[in-house]
Amino acid sequence: MKNTIKIERAKKNFTQAELADKIGVSRQAVNSIETGKFVPSTVLALKMAKVFGTTVEVIFQLENSD
Amino acid sequence: MDNQKKHLNDRILIYAVIWSLSYVGSLFALKTLEIPTEAGIVLTVITVLAFALFIYKYYRSIFFMDEVQIKIQMEAVVIAFSLGLLLLMTLGLLDLVITLNKNDWSYRYLVPLFVAFYFFGLFISKRKYNFDDEKHD
Repeated sequence: MKNTIKIERAKKNFTQAELADKIGVSRQAVNSIETGKFVPSTVLALKMAKVFGTTVEVIFQLENSD
Repeated sequence: MDNQKKHLNDRILIYAVIWSLSYVGSLFALKTLEIPTEAGIVLTVITVLAFALFIYKYYRSIFFMDEVQIKIQMEAVVIAFSLGLLLLMTLGLLDLVITLNKNDWSYRYLVPLFVAFYFFGLFISKRKYNFDDEKHD
């Protein structure tokens, strides 16, 4: 699964730590999700979408391998 | 969030140190000093209680972890448990074939190995999820 978290963060000018604080996880967790190593739960994905003011589908997209 | 996590980790570390010290202390006392049986049992119970307290605090800390941390801890414990079982099975089978020196392979010496297995699992799992302390802003 690919994601656009880094792009969305850049749009909002958020650091990983700031995003982590807003969605209630550790900065390292944001890094794991952003680098595609960890797929977040639906709740966390929805929280991210809310913070970025967009939808989950914009942030996370399935790849052919998924 | 990071400060809260650090505070939590510090507290667990304190309980881990208390257990470690009580274990090593009891091991030393029971092995080298001539202690009455009753006192030996009391020392053993103290060590068991210290370990139980540490495990309780560790278990409680899971409720304050985020989902990535929970998954990392779960995988670390699974790796440690599997390696621990593997070691016990190997020693158990070998013991039927060759006589293992109990001074080298006593249960009390396996405890540090189990702890080492946990940290090995933690290392593997953290790498898998890119859960490092470097800044990636």
